[in-house]
Amino acid sequence: MRLPKFAYLAPRTVADAVKMMGDAGWEGQFVAGGTDLYPNMKRRQQTPKTVISVARLAELNEISGDGKSGVRVGAGVSLTDLIEHPVIVRDYPSVAAAARTISTPVLRNMGTVGGNLLLDTRCNYYDQNYEWRRGINFCLKKDGDVCWVAPGSQKCWAVQSADLVPLMVAIGARVRLVSTLGERVIDAAALYRDDGINYLHKRHDELLADVQLPALNGWRATYKKLRRRGAFDFPVLGVAVRLDVERGGAVRAAKVILGGIAPAPVEVPDAEAALVGGSLDDERMRRAAEACYVKARPLDNTDFVMNWRKQMTKPYVLRALEELR
Amino acid sequence: MSEARQQSSIVGRPVPRKEGRAKVTGAARYVDDLTLPGMIYGATVRSTVARGRIKNITFGEGVPWDELTVVTARDIPGANAVALILLDQPYLASEFVNHPEEPIVLLAHPDKHLVERARRAVLVEIEPLPPVFTIEESAAKKEIVWGEDNTFKSYLVEKGNVDEVWSRDDVLIVEGEYRTGAQEQLYIETNGVVAVANADEGVTVWGSMQCPYYVHKALIKLFDLPEEKIRVIQTETGGGFGGKEEYPSMIAGHAALLAWKSGQPVKIIYDRAEDMAATTKRHPSLTRHRTAVTRDGKLAAQEIEFTVDGGAYATLSAVVLSRGTIHAAGPYYCPNVRINARAVATNAPPHGAFRGFGAPQSIFALERQMDKVARALDLSAEEFRRRNFIREGETTATEQIIREKVDMAGLLARAFELSGYEEKRGRFARENAGRGKVKRGIGFATFMHGAGFTGSGEVFLQSIVGCEASSDGRVHILAASTEIGQGTNTIFAQIAAEALKLDYDMVEVSRPDTASVPNSGPTVASRTCMIVGKLVESAALGLRQTLQGAGLLAEVYTADEWREACRRHTERHGALKSFSQYKAPPDVVWDDGKYRGDAYGAFAWAVYVAEVSVDLVTYDARVEDFVAVQEVGRVIHPVLAAGQIEGGVAQGVGYALYERVAWREGRMANSQMTNYIMPTALDVPPIRVHFEETPYPYGPAGAKGIGELPMDGPAPAILSAVEQATGVAFTHIPLMPEDLMKELGDARD
Ligand SMILES: Cc1cc2nc3c(=O)[nH]c(=O)nc-3n(C[C@H](O)[C@H](O)[C@H](O)COP(=O)(O)OP(=O)(O)OC[C@H]3O[C@@H](n4cnc5c(N)ncnc54)[C@H](O)[C@@H]3O)c2cc1C
Ligand code: SF4
Repeated sequence: MRLPKFAYLAPRTVADAVKMMGDAGWEGQFVAGGTDLYPNMKRRQQTPKTVISVARLAELNEISGDGKSGVRVGAGVSLTDLIEHPVIVRDYPSVAAAARTISTPVLRNMGTVGGNLLLDTRCNYYDQNYEWRRGINFCLKKDGDVCWVAPGSQKCWAVQSADLVPLMVAIGARVRLVSTLGERVIDAAALYRDDGINYLHKRHDELLADVQLPALNGWRATYKKLRRRGAFDFPVLGVAVRLDVERGGAVRAAKVILGGIAPAPVEVPDAEAALVGGSLDDERMRRAAEACYVKARPLDNTDFVMNWRKQMTKPYVLRALEELR
Repeated sequence: MSEARQQSSIVGRPVPRKEGRAKVTGAARYVDDLTLPGMIYGATVRSTVARGRIKNITFGEGVPWDELTVVTARDIPGANAVALILLDQPYLASEFVNHPEEPIVLLAHPDKHLVERARRAVLVEIEPLPPVFTIEESAAKKEIVWGEDNTFKSYLVEKGNVDEVWSRDDVLIVEGEYRTGAQEQLYIETNGVVAVANADEGVTVWGSMQCPYYVHKALIKLFDLPEEKIRVIQTETGGGFGGKEEYPSMIAGHAALLAWKSGQPVKIIYDRAEDMAATTKRHPSLTRHRTAVTRDGKLAAQEIEFTVDGGAYATLSAVVLSRGTIHAAGPYYCPNVRINARAVATNAPPHGAFRGFGAPQSIFALERQMDKVARALDLSAEEFRRRNFIREGETTATEQIIREKVDMAGLLARAFELSGYEEKRGRFARENAGRGKVKRGIGFATFMHGAGFTGSGEVFLQSIVGCEASSDGRVHILAASTEIGQGTNTIFAQIAAEALKLDYDMVEVSRPDTASVPNSGPTVASRTCMIVGKLVESAALGLRQTLQGAGLLAEVYTADEWREACRRHTERHGALKSFSQYKAPPDVVWDDGKYRGDAYGAFAWAVYVAEVSVDLVTYDARVEDFVAVQEVGRVIHPVLAAGQIEGGVAQGVGYALYERVAWREGRMANSQMTNYIMPTALDVPPIRVHFEETPYPYGPAGAKGIGELPMDGPAPAILSAVEQATGVAFTHIPLMPEDLMKELGDARD
């Protein structure tokens, strides 16, 4: 497998970067660490003619603020730098812990926060080299017209597989998007679409500038990841939970987000409802886990049989809640 | 004063690896580091279906075809068959394809990108024929996809008469069926070669390989050239594990064909996906056991039906099957044994050599069966084994009399002591009865592994090793045995230095190049140290004898005296060389017709203990601790030897619990490392390696073979431990969480 030919641009300012993207149009694509994009290009899943790197944008490489006021994490910050940053370690341990579950130390040195939040959706029929995909006549997501996971479906079910995503959605992080038309800040939750092909509510030309972590005001969060090995593997299930707990121990608000089972992170309102209103006891936890189990309907397009992945929902939700108890 | 004199022994010391410095500094040159002037890049167009008849090949639009070198079966100057055991596998399919990765067209061009685009533009129209994908389908002859009856090879081993035992009323009969999956070797460096070929100079190939003379033999046939017109040179090789035993003959032929037609040097390097999908993997297997035991726990009869899936062509299946067959009855004494073994054809890419070579498959089945029989007898697994371990003077299934000292019970005791087996076994049983969701188990496997080629194999090979002393006294070992990461160069130099009482640094190993080294046989079958090493030792001693015979060297000498003797000898007589050729040790007799006799010159003996935890919530089975005790003769290099064991155990952990080839229509659907998962450093337990050393008189400095042994024991030991943890005696590998869930799902509350 080889990279196709492409032009590589390395702007120094955000203004230049978005202008270059405007010029490149549909043929352009941003790259940060390239740990997702380059392999995808080798497999011809993505074939941009112009690749615009965000690596030299100083503005994207900073972490500022603290837990009191909230923290701004530049999209170009590497996962390793995120994990090791003292403020993140102190004030947002769940973020550091979730990032630590991503792939391997080497990939975390290159991979970035922004790249993770915008990671392409994954599917066993799609994350394959060109010959392999040609062998099945391709699929809806790229070059073909059938979905092999749900034949007859007009929708692609490729799976949201980035570990930071469920957690960022759960804690209510916001993201800043910049283009030649200006900038906007939206909830991380609003960034994702339940469509494996157009999986982002982000215009193609928008640059992800930073992620804003909310101020700490009593909430706590955690992320649990199901995978086969101690390293490398993408999540085949991710459970992120945020709880706002009152002084007396009653849960005031809850967010329960499942990753790795659908094209977008899946919120489970029934689980949240089960958790709110009293202290985190066994019964509430059990009901929340049950609600997640009902809601989780993984399809047969990642590793491992889907039944195993579905079965794992309950224990993983329980593990997450137990940690927050 | 000589340094050599002060060092009493070089064997047994962890001297630095010969090529270690070059590897860690990046100076080592692998095939992809090689660039020749005018070199172009080759690619392979493969079948798209498992079985069929080629109707038409079209070269699509948008590619400047006149710039490309295009080779099809019609361009082959000699025989269109990869010469190995049989001549059944074509280099390029001309009419029929028999597996979904079968090569059909070769392309080359100076622009790598263009070749890849061109490959995509070739459309091969194939009329499909009904394929066969499983051992059962093949054995049932649902379709005949190879030869007369889908059978590459079969063996029958008969010892005593099992049929007389079944009806006896003093025996208990236990039956079982066991399966093992395919496994990919996953060497770090993928297959690759560079070739130069033209009528004047003949064919020269550089490449990543285990067996230069296999490639040499194959190219002679392919080009119909005399042997001196073919030259094969091994480049630094990043691992093989058997995966570079036969396949390099294929890719070398392809590059040479492109070079022949284009007149330019051609490089072909497979990417990981192509390497995983198209090259050989471990043979999947199905084994049926029927065992009769007396009430006092003695084996009375073993009937074993052992079948391996060879894929589409014969390749090495016959010899893989042979090793599997001979190891199928294990390190136990049983008076009556029948082994019916068969290698059958399916429409998957040919399966091939992989560390262990058939033995891990049949040993897995046997060890699971031994546990099952013990249970039926209400004996502990260890007590049942103790009552049946083979002893000096007793015979194996092939009626080989064990003449070496063997003490399996002693190894077992040592392994139990090191692992705390008995204490843990008891403790886990108590703890598992509790409500905890994580269950633990400890289990073991006892096994042996023969070193060197099976039966008369070594006699047919007639391997030769040379040693040359240059005028400065340096000794050069000339052998075709390859360094593939396992330490060949280092141990050869140790053996020669030890034999000549010279410093390790005075010995060098020449690069395997068929133009300058003799054929010391393939680098396979745990034969490099024991068989070839012995030849190194005697060739080295030959140098000394020559010098002493010529009166140039005293009985006892210093390094300086050695140098001086070499200088004077080469001055007078030119190059000082000594060659040594294999001779079977006395009393080693093998009957190929009856499949009976001394299968191997020596066996390594081992007991492996695995401890696992099984999470009943996630169905995740993990190996938590591992003890590997083995008797391998004298250990030449303790660090390399331990490395061999650790690596083999890690590979065995993958074989047992992680590595599943997902087959779809004969094709590996997960031909990438994101979803063909091998254990990482985080998934491999601490591996505690212990050697018992009983010097073997016919091995160099007393050594036997070691490379394949550690592949045999982990899977059965791990499944035995899983059995204690879960109460379920699983009979197949890989054992994935899904399988555990299927079986244990009901146990959950
Ligand atoms: C073997 C392997 C294992 C992996 N395991 C995991 C895992 O366990 N968990 C996990 O979450 N991920 C995993 N990954 C995926 C990946 O490494 C990480 O998600 C990483 O964080 C991606 O970041 P990057 O900077 O390399 O992204 P890139 O490859 O640079 O980009 C990813 C995508 O985001 C876009 N993009 C990047 N930055 C911006 C920006 N600032 N503005 C707009 N668009 C942008 C790119 O155009 C591209 O579409 C794995 C990858 C590999 C190869
Ligand atoms: S879900 Fe369907 S359309 Fe989407 S990538 Fe997988 S097979 Fe293709």
